[in-house]
Amino acid sequence: MSSASASAAGFHLDVGWHRRALAFVTAVALGVVGWQIATWISDGWIPGVGEIVDATGEALVAADTWDQILITSKRILIAFVASTAIGVAIGMAAGLNRKAEAFFRPLIVIALATPDPLYVIIAILVLGTEESSGVIALTLALIPFVVTIVHSSVKARESQLDEMSAVYRLGRRRYLSRVLARQVTPALFAAARTSFAFAWKIVVLVEAISQPRGIGSEIYEQFRLLNAAEMIALALIFIVLMRLVDAVVFGGLERRLMAWSR
Amino acid sequence: MTDSRIAATAGPLQRPGRRWWSGSGSSSDRLFSALGALSFVALWWVGSVTSDFVPPIGEVLDAVPTFLTEEDIYGDISDSLTRVVGSLAVAVLIGFWAAYLMARRGFWGLVVARYVDLAIGLPSTIAALLALFIFKRSEIGVFVVVTIACFPFVAITLRQGFLSLDRRLSEMSGVYRFGGISQIRNVSLPHLVPYTLASIRNEYAHAWRVVVIAELFAVNSGIGWRFTQAYDRFLLVDVALWLLVFITILLGTEYGILRPLERWVLRWRGGEL
Amino acid sequence: MSPPYIDVEGLKASYDGSRLVLDGVDMAVEENEFVAVLGPSGCGKSTMLQVLSGLLRPVAGRATIAGKDMTGSSSDRPRVGYVFQDHRLLPWRTVASNIELVLEAAGLPRREWDARIDRYLDILQIGQFRDAWPMRLSGGQRQRVSIARALAIDPAVVLMDEPFSTLDEVTARTMRQQLVELWQESSRTIVFVTHSIREAIFLADRVAILTRGPARVLEDVEVPIGRPRRYEDAEITELESAIVDRVMGVWGYEEGTPA
Repeated sequence: MSSASASAAGFHLDVGWHRRALAFVTAVALGVVGWQIATWISDGWIPGVGEIVDATGEALVAADTWDQILITSKRILIAFVASTAIGVAIGMAAGLNRKAEAFFRPLIVIALATPDPLYVIIAILVLGTEESSGVIALTLALIPFVVTIVHSSVKARESQLDEMSAVYRLGRRRYLSRVLARQVTPALFAAARTSFAFAWKIVVLVEAISQPRGIGSEIYEQFRLLNAAEMIALALIFIVLMRLVDAVVFGGLERRLMAWSR
Repeated sequence: MTDSRIAATAGPLQRPGRRWWSGSGSSSDRLFSALGALSFVALWWVGSVTSDFVPPIGEVLDAVPTFLTEEDIYGDISDSLTRVVGSLAVAVLIGFWAAYLMARRGFWGLVVARYVDLAIGLPSTIAALLALFIFKRSEIGVFVVVTIACFPFVAITLRQGFLSLDRRLSEMSGVYRFGGISQIRNVSLPHLVPYTLASIRNEYAHAWRVVVIAELFAVNSGIGWRFTQAYDRFLLVDVALWLLVFITILLGTEYGILRPLERWVLRWRGGEL
Repeated sequence: MSPPYIDVEGLKASYDGSRLVLDGVDMAVEENEFVAVLGPSGCGKSTMLQVLSGLLRPVAGRATIAGKDMTGSSSDRPRVGYVFQDHRLLPWRTVASNIELVLEAAGLPRREWDARIDRYLDILQIGQFRDAWPMRLSGGQRQRVSIARALAIDPAVVLMDEPFSTLDEVTARTMRQQLVELWQESSRTIVFVTHSIREAIFLADRVAILTRGPARVLEDVEVPIGRPRRYEDAEITELESAIVDRVMGVWGYEEGTPA
């Protein structure tokens, strides 16, 4: 059990913060040690931690790295916005209307059962190797997740409030904005955050398979050239960057959201 | 990935199939579902007409019988299936252990939480490429990739299970003097069963999607590999056929085996929860 | 004079180590007595049951049953049956299987199990639910199972913690009646915690009234009303008013805390 005593709250938080920082350092240290062992076992085939750090440093200052990241980020942004918008629309329709739900059900089930690479393949077959096909594939792959989250949240709403709204004849607009919005806002937020989280992960696949530019294709390129350290370096930079964006943007929004809902 | 990563909002213990199959199957519902399925077919048809490359539905359906009698497709299907089931089993074991540590809130729980966090934030493509690099083209690579992709979600769900271990049932077993082992066997473990089943159900579909990605890059067998082969050789009818196979297997096993199994194990729930 | 069957003396107990919930409670219960413990919400009346059953170590004082100290963990402590406010049945086991579990933990021989289960389920008129899942039963039926479970192990004492407070009034009335009959037939010692004055008077031989937390015994009231009693009896009403007058000032809403 934690050593928190019944002393001042501030002290308690301090202990928690220190422990967490120590745990983080331990995790990193263990990881580094484990990785080095792997490097030794593989006779240097797996690049050592030092190599990776060097490669990361070089990649960070190379202008090309940031060009690629910009390209990828644009794709992520478009797909995120489009998939969230479309997904929320479908999810809400399905949550509010039984017929819409029945209609979309088979589509969503099939969409969720379709592996990601297939979206890319289908997009290319239909649209050719245009720049847009990758983004469209990404968007389509994300929509089902957004729909699922929004749909189940809308369905889980308090039906008693629906009845109340009908009795007092609130009307569609007031109902949506006053009664429903409050209930589903957390899920909408979760859906958006999930959409972003999947977007930056799946875009790597999309770019590795199909696109000539972007971080994903760069990573794949480095892999083909067997430059493992460079590949890992790019991956590290990209992952850290995306998680920073998530923590700052969505984390910040979440805090504001929680304060507002008080 | 039918329901994965949605545990936070929808809750891991929602009864299987509740989300999309809720309510009655009234005839107008069935009509609209049929329309939905038809719209999928319609989209396909539109695709085949507007693009030279999308194979027409008729062609694909005609090729099904011959396809199904080809012996060697079953080898790849069973390869993928083995990888999914095997990795999922390992993921559940690791996830269980990780969840236990995290729920205890000890120091090592915090360390493990960092690794869980790392694994969630690792794109499968990067993991697959790394695995290909490290393990060359051996089976282990695929197993590692899928296990790493799935275990963190199992850990998160089971952690909730551990944390919700009700004080009240522990008190009851204390009053009636169950004894340590009896308490674990009769109170703690059964409580965790619904959480375990929920995480298996969620991660099963997730594992299938990751396996395809892993096989795309890292090995020379399995359904993912078949996709690349067909696509590279421009055998688009084959691409469509393998897609149908994949969807059928995934949906078939999930709705035909996993969900009924889950309902049966959890039959004590009756009408509640 | 022989020592009381249940002997609580100077009992002080706390959950978090700093705030006392019980502050020197004294209580003596003779064998086969039915004693009600009455107190306002949150005063710690359940706490005394938890100490008696060995769930909670007291800060000070003594709690013994049949001379054996209940606060340690020695294995020759007498068996205790406990009926919680919420049924606390394992939902993944059938009714019979739930009872088997405590019979096993109590060390009773396997060959007796079926007979015991059938007997007590029948007494509580739920014999037909022997193989049912708890979640399919109504609240009243689940509480009956909980009571059957408590009785099946032939406990020295049955501790009941507001067992009927979550039931609807009609069910609760029936259960109270049945409980009294059960007690009279089978001669058990029962300690029954409640916040309802009328329920306490209806059921018990004596009522121990607690103060607000940190709790002590305010008064120990004999219930001189002959049995069988009816819930609406005038004598019960009379005694109830007397007790209400007595405790209003002590329990009352002086600090404006919500009920």
